[in-house]
Amino acid sequence: MGDLAISVQNLNLIYKTTIDKRPTLKARMKSLGRGTKQTRIVHAVNDLSIDIPYGSVLGVVGANGAGKSTLMRVISGILPPTAGRVEVYGKVSTLLALGVGFNPSMSGRENVLLGGLAAGMSRKEIDKHFEEIADFAELGDAIDAPMRTYSSGMYARLGFSVAVTVRPDILIVDEALSTGDARFKEKSLNKMKELRSDARALILVSHALGTIQDMCNEVAWMHQGKLIQRGEPREVVEAYQKFLEVGKSAVVNEDV
Amino acid sequence: MTARTLPTEVFEPFHSALPPLKPYWRSLWARRAFISEFSRSDLREKHFDSLFGQVWLILNPLLLSGVYFLLIVIIGGHSDKARYAHLTACLFLFYAIANSMIGGVKSVTAGQRLILNTAFPRIMLPMSATLVSLIRFLPTIAVFLVIKGLLGLPFTFQMFWAIPIIAIAFLLGLGLAILFSCINVYFRDIATFLPYFNRSWLYLSPILYEASALKPELRPLEQINPLFPLLDSWSRVMVHGQAPSFSQLGVSLLWALGFLIIGTYFFLSREREFAVRV
Repeated sequence: MGDLAISVQNLNLIYKTTIDKRPTLKARMKSLGRGTKQTRIVHAVNDLSIDIPYGSVLGVVGANGAGKSTLMRVISGILPPTAGRVEVYGKVSTLLALGVGFNPSMSGRENVLLGGLAAGMSRKEIDKHFEEIADFAELGDAIDAPMRTYSSGMYARLGFSVAVTVRPDILIVDEALSTGDARFKEKSLNKMKELRSDARALILVSHALGTIQDMCNEVAWMHQGKLIQRGEPREVVEAYQKFLEVGKSAVVNEDV
Repeated sequence: MTARTLPTEVFEPFHSALPPLKPYWRSLWARRAFISEFSRSDLREKHFDSLFGQVWLILNPLLLSGVYFLLIVIIGGHSDKARYAHLTACLFLFYAIANSMIGGVKSVTAGQRLILNTAFPRIMLPMSATLVSLIRFLPTIAVFLVIKGLLGLPFTFQMFWAIPIIAIAFLLGLGLAILFSCINVYFRDIATFLPYFNRSWLYLSPILYEASALKPELRPLEQINPLFPLLDSWSRVMVHGQAPSFSQLGVSLLWALGFLIIGTYFFLSREREFAVRV
């Protein structure tokens, strides 16, 4: 393992939201009358510490609500910590959702520019990699059609191609691997495998345990904001599965 | 494991209200291509690049000034060329600022997906709305100049004072966009109130009438309305071809900077909450 890529030190993240989802005048008046403001406190990440070196392909597993996506968002700077510290050594790129920054009324070509810029690439870089992105997405002439005419598979393919073209030092992928048909799934997995290198850190958050075991050289298991276990993929995944009391099935291995 | 060098980024809870400003500005500057493309896509959505879209861009202000022409000149009976030119010029500048506010107020709440999934300086969102408003404002100047030519009003070199006045107007528009976009996150009703607020502001500003025609009892309006000195200078420069008064320019600049600083402070100190509240 190489140098340190990410150091998370005693991270805590607490969400405090008011109960009324739409902060309208009427709701405020009601709560004023009641004399209290109903808040909901969620301790999404609970005193978590983890060091991730370059060269690691870290899989992050856990039940829904474990805090995995929140942790990824803190590492990429989208959410600030409530307490604790995160040090990042290198440039982070995220694939937390597909087609971030895309505008559906514009063509695929224009959205490649928008999505690339949103992901932090420069115009020159995007122009240089455009052919690569277009080829990978296999859209053909449709790349010049407005994206609202795309099927969901086409949308996902283009979104994935753009995001994966950024060559960051640290890449965080949040459950966006299972996109498109089986053929594209294989292509995207192979692409992710290409990105594995000693000079890069990959973090994969996924429920697809089969993929995790295939791709990763290390797995971390989170539950209710805490880091439960970290180590060899097989070990951790087995422990996790035992915890969930599900055996190996097609559903769990996300072969559906 | 040893650390390479110093960390590229450190994420800590903020101790003071504002994030470190220099890196923020630097990251904003690095995103300038994104800001311009984002604005461009917004404009394209509004059919800015189609022929019909561009015709509409001209037609819209013309129709606006046409309605008021009907009201004041034909129905009201005041057939004053200068007054009509004043009305048109001030209306266009007013709408530039109002559009910046209206585009800005929802910019943060509408950018939910972007905010939750990418790290970027979020002040870019209201800035983009102001940029869109600026681009839509420019054709209206051309329309006004044509109207002015047709009315036979004087064209002088003093009209170049329009440039600093437009700059101040957009600083004000930007400050308001930033401020309202932030307020909207906490108080969603503001987006509904805004059109009414703008309409009232229109009537309280020297657009439908000249500042000098105001009754003395209503003079306090001049002090509390940031648009008063701005529109008065704008009218002087564009309609009458005279140099603006420097004290008025100074006051408008102070108003604009005031809103910009307050709005930016409020926005930057609250920005981190957006991902949670949006």
